[in-house]
Amino acid sequence: MRRIGIWIAAGGLLLATAACGGGGGGGGGTAATGRAQSLSVGAVAEPANLDFTSTEGAAIPQALLVNVYEGLVKLDQDGKIAPLLAEKWDVSDDRRTYTFTLRDNVTFSSGAPFTADDVVFSLDRVRSDWKLKIKTQLDAVEKTEKKDDSTVVVTLKRPSNGFLYSMATRLGAMFSRTGVADLANKPVGTGPYVLGAWRRGDSLRLDANPSYWGAKPPMPSVTLKYFKDATAMNNALLTGGIDVISSVQAPESLQQFADPARFETVEGSTNGEVVLSMNNSRPPFDDKKVRQAVRHAIDHKALLDTAWAGRGQLIGSMTPPTDPWYEDRTGDYPYDPAKARELLGGKTYEVTMRIPNLPYAVNSAQVVKSQLAQVGITAEIEPLEFPARWLDQVFTKADYHLSIINHVEPRDMGIFADKSYYFRYDNPEFGKLLASADAGTEQEQADDLKQAAKLLSEDAAADWLFLFPNLIVAKKGVTGLPKNAIAESFDFTALAKR
Amino acid sequence: MKGGQVKGGRTRGGRLNAGLLAGGTLVGLVVLAALVSFFWTPHDPTLVDAAGKLREPGGGYPLGADKFGRDTFSQLMVGARTTLYVGVVAVGIAALAGVPLGVVAGMTPRGWLSELIMRVNDLVFAFPALLLAVMLGAVYGPGTLTAMIAIGVATVPAFARVARAATLQVMVTDYVLAARAAGRGRPAIAVRHVLPNIGSVLIVQASVSFAIAILAEAALSFLGFGTRPPTPSWGRMLQESQELLFSTPRLALWPGIAVAVAVLGFNLLGDGLRDYLDPKLRRIRAEG
Repeated sequence: MRRIGIWIAAGGLLLATAACGGGGGGGGGTAATGRAQSLSVGAVAEPANLDFTSTEGAAIPQALLVNVYEGLVKLDQDGKIAPLLAEKWDVSDDRRTYTFTLRDNVTFSSGAPFTADDVVFSLDRVRSDWKLKIKTQLDAVEKTEKKDDSTVVVTLKRPSNGFLYSMATRLGAMFSRTGVADLANKPVGTGPYVLGAWRRGDSLRLDANPSYWGAKPPMPSVTLKYFKDATAMNNALLTGGIDVISSVQAPESLQQFADPARFETVEGSTNGEVVLSMNNSRPPFDDKKVRQAVRHAIDHKALLDTAWAGRGQLIGSMTPPTDPWYEDRTGDYPYDPAKARELLGGKTYEVTMRIPNLPYAVNSAQVVKSQLAQVGITAEIEPLEFPARWLDQVFTKADYHLSIINHVEPRDMGIFADKSYYFRYDNPEFGKLLASADAGTEQEQADDLKQAAKLLSEDAAADWLFLFPNLIVAKKGVTGLPKNAIAESFDFTALAKR
Repeated sequence: MKGGQVKGGRTRGGRLNAGLLAGGTLVGLVVLAALVSFFWTPHDPTLVDAAGKLREPGGGYPLGADKFGRDTFSQLMVGARTTLYVGVVAVGIAALAGVPLGVVAGMTPRGWLSELIMRVNDLVFAFPALLLAVMLGAVYGPGTLTAMIAIGVATVPAFARVARAATLQVMVTDYVLAARAAGRGRPAIAVRHVLPNIGSVLIVQASVSFAIAILAEAALSFLGFGTRPPTPSWGRMLQESQELLFSTPRLALWPGIAVAVAVLGFNLLGDGLRDYLDPKLRRIRAEG
């Protein structure tokens, strides 16, 4: 009996440590002036390292882009491109030459000045050193040249609508020629924050950059605290361990934060398409009919209601509603199990569903499994540790039948044009549409991208379960929270706390 | 063994006692639920039904439904199966490995082999089972099998120690001395005399280990390293009900009670069996 006591104690201790994860640190010290000096933000999926040039995943740019690294341009809250390190830019009439005029007096956190050489270095480095799949977005760049210390000319092989937009994402982040030796641990950027401390497995603290060129951010210190467990994160906010939940992971629990005198909830949309990916190169999903059957077999409304408490939006293809060329494609494959069985022709299949061990994926997978079972597809759910193991097995090796992941990158429809991407979707027609969209006028771009989204949906290249909501809960008095999370970063520069 | 102490005369002659009855009943309930679940559950425990989300108890759903609209009662029944499955396999691994090791160590008390076995046992004993399971889960992926193996391996030393202690006692009895004098080999003595006489102790150990294994499986599933979704498991039911703890506490209540019932049942059963079997053991010794 004594050993049982020990077991219970051990279990209790584990839970207690999980629940107390939010204690200590953070909490927001308030200086004598009455203005808060620090703010802590709860987040999930801690980055494996701090180098988003070589490591996939959303957690690194979420923490570092805009805050530590800046690009020549950025996305504002409306999704428009706004100047950042470039004061202005000119586009030639043939839309192949971009001339950026750089801001003066910008220095890196290492003390090195930011010059045209760094821009050339950073853009060349995307091609030479970056390991991310999305780097193909900058394939249109032919060359980057320094005209003088504060002027850079980028020449494109062809007109590209996506170029300037990509420059506002992590691909456009500016690195120092002398600051890339240890990107995984020591980020060097021009941003309003610098890395304060990184306690692996716990938190990442960013401190205000004393030599920042622009307006000082209101918060001298912001800490990202990472939680594996949704309930632990909730408890941390309830008990004051953190000030903000950057992305609610247990939407059913929102009523805990219903008291408007204590908490504020922000709900908007994101770029995150929660995709049920199907390996287009592996039986049975190399057969379009089987993929179409899967799309018909899933009751998306029921899935969203049960798996994510009805928060979010149904989309039906790879375009989020915040993009100008969004079209509602949820009608392409209405919930119709009979039709699905007909498409399967009475055959039954057994497949594996390798998912990241994240709440939205584990919840959705159980619904998907139950609904697929109705039409004769037995899916074995296999949760993999995220990010490392999932990235390795599913994303890199494409060793899977089905998976579920939230694709958070903005305007990322292009990933389907890459045959080697883990969807293994291969339709030259789609690639042509994207190329023509990139080269065309604004109207042609919108038309082509609508066509492309339609083609993806009709081909059933994947199934789009729902659009991940931007669901933020914060203590009363925290301001500057973004309604729509349409950029890759969690922008700390506007955050303030009374 | 501390020998068959007879408490208040209740257990004399190996009659059934209250602990044994209560433990047997609780364990019987769990076993019954598990067995019945093979043939019948009120509803499909993994069937998602959006319309029945967080259904209140009643109307064919005696304990209501969870956020996926899955029937809690059916999940508990199938969860019992998972629990027993893990317990049987984990305890089986532990007993199959631990008992021979303990008997060998007990029969060669001063040999190097005994030392080696018991020191390695101490090493494994010092390693927390949960940690081992989390480690295996991280390497081989979470799953019922991984959890069972980890729990089983971590329980081996408990069996080895108990088996060795009991074997040491049996080895100095007159009948073993007689058998040795008659030229019986060690394997024969082990099978003919040692195993039958330490059996009752091992049964008690098994029931206690079973309780520990149930708790461990629940803890592992709670942490996401145990049974894979959507196979019902009490631990994962607890974990999934966490976010609804404030709005729908019954979802956490029922699997919590189930774990408590099973653990209590096996512990009472172990205590009861000890009381039940000890006097018999003494009688056998006296007669032997």
